[in-house]
Amino acid sequence: MHSGFLRRLFGKDSSSDVAKKRLKFALVYDKLEISEEVLERLQRDIVKVVSKYFDIEKEGLELDIRRSDNLSALVVNTPIHPKKKGRKN
Amino acid sequence: MVGKSIVITSGKGGVGKTTATASIGAALALEGKKVVVVDLDIGLRNLDVVMGLENRIVFNIVDVIKGKCKLNQGTIKDRRIENLYLIPASQNDNKDVVSPKDMVELVKKLRNEFDFILMDCPAGIERGFENAIAAADEALVICTPEVSSVRDADRVIGLLYARSITPKLVINRIVPELVERGDMLSHVDVQEVLSIDLVGLVPIDDHVVVSTNTGTPLVLEKESRAGEAFRGIAMRLNGQTDLPVELPGRQGRFWKRLGRKFGFSR
Repeated sequence: MHSGFLRRLFGKDSSSDVAKKRLKFALVYDKLEISEEVLERLQRDIVKVVSKYFDIEKEGLELDIRRSDNLSALVVNTPIHPKKKGRKN
Repeated sequence: MVGKSIVITSGKGGVGKTTATASIGAALALEGKKVVVVDLDIGLRNLDVVMGLENRIVFNIVDVIKGKCKLNQGTIKDRRIENLYLIPASQNDNKDVVSPKDMVELVKKLRNEFDFILMDCPAGIERGFENAIAAADEALVICTPEVSSVRDADRVIGLLYARSITPKLVINRIVPELVERGDMLSHVDVQEVLSIDLVGLVPIDDHVVVSTNTGTPLVLEKESRAGEAFRGIAMRLNGQTDLPVELPGRQGRFWKRLGRKFGFSR
């Protein structure tokens, strides 16, 4: 089993990274009671809009639901790069 | 005496609630506390076999609640560990025969006689769960490092908060080799998602199977790493809150470990 080594060499997600992502998504849409597809579209749209104004790191964007007694808040967290300057991607 | 009642729950079945209840109960009793463990999986009792007390059952929790026997008749004393008692579930009823109110009354009586009342909650979030949490002061949520188990734990944690019970987390069946290889969620990942206090990290351990086979207490096995982890959890529940939660390490020789580090062996 060389999978761990090769994975690290090629920078691929490990199965636990995949598990963590799936888990986070599952929890968000369990709480919102909307489908994964809708959530992904929402995430894409948010990225699109925010990218118009900031240079953001698309991979680092996180959606989260915070709940208190009578309301839920959709929290979007994204790293913003200081400035677009000769950066690739 | 005013005992503390703790429910052991998980949402998902098969993650180790019964083993945890038996082991933490035994460890607390070994610490010198008077402990009763209560099997609330009415219709599918199991705690009795895990503790090796299945042949001693005369009365059960339904008999106690319905007044068919006295409380002390329905409470079985452990054979090996002083101060440890079991109230078994009934095997021929369903969960509706007990109500949350019945549980509150039962636990009220138990508080006068025991330091700790540990309640083994059935899987699911229906009536059995409602019964189990109705009289709980505290809750231990058990999960394994798997997506399905953590998701169910999250749901249960939400339900507990809704009842003003602040749960604590036990992560069970950790396989350190898989975590290191990146093929199992780490305790950090799980805790980050669930964001509740951690009281124990329990590694996967063959001793659990063996002690369940024989009905002997896991925490008496000196070699058992899971037993050791459960003893730590009991000490934390018993007031030693500063006892650090240790990450179960891998067993194995240096070279094997070095090899694994670079991904050259399993």
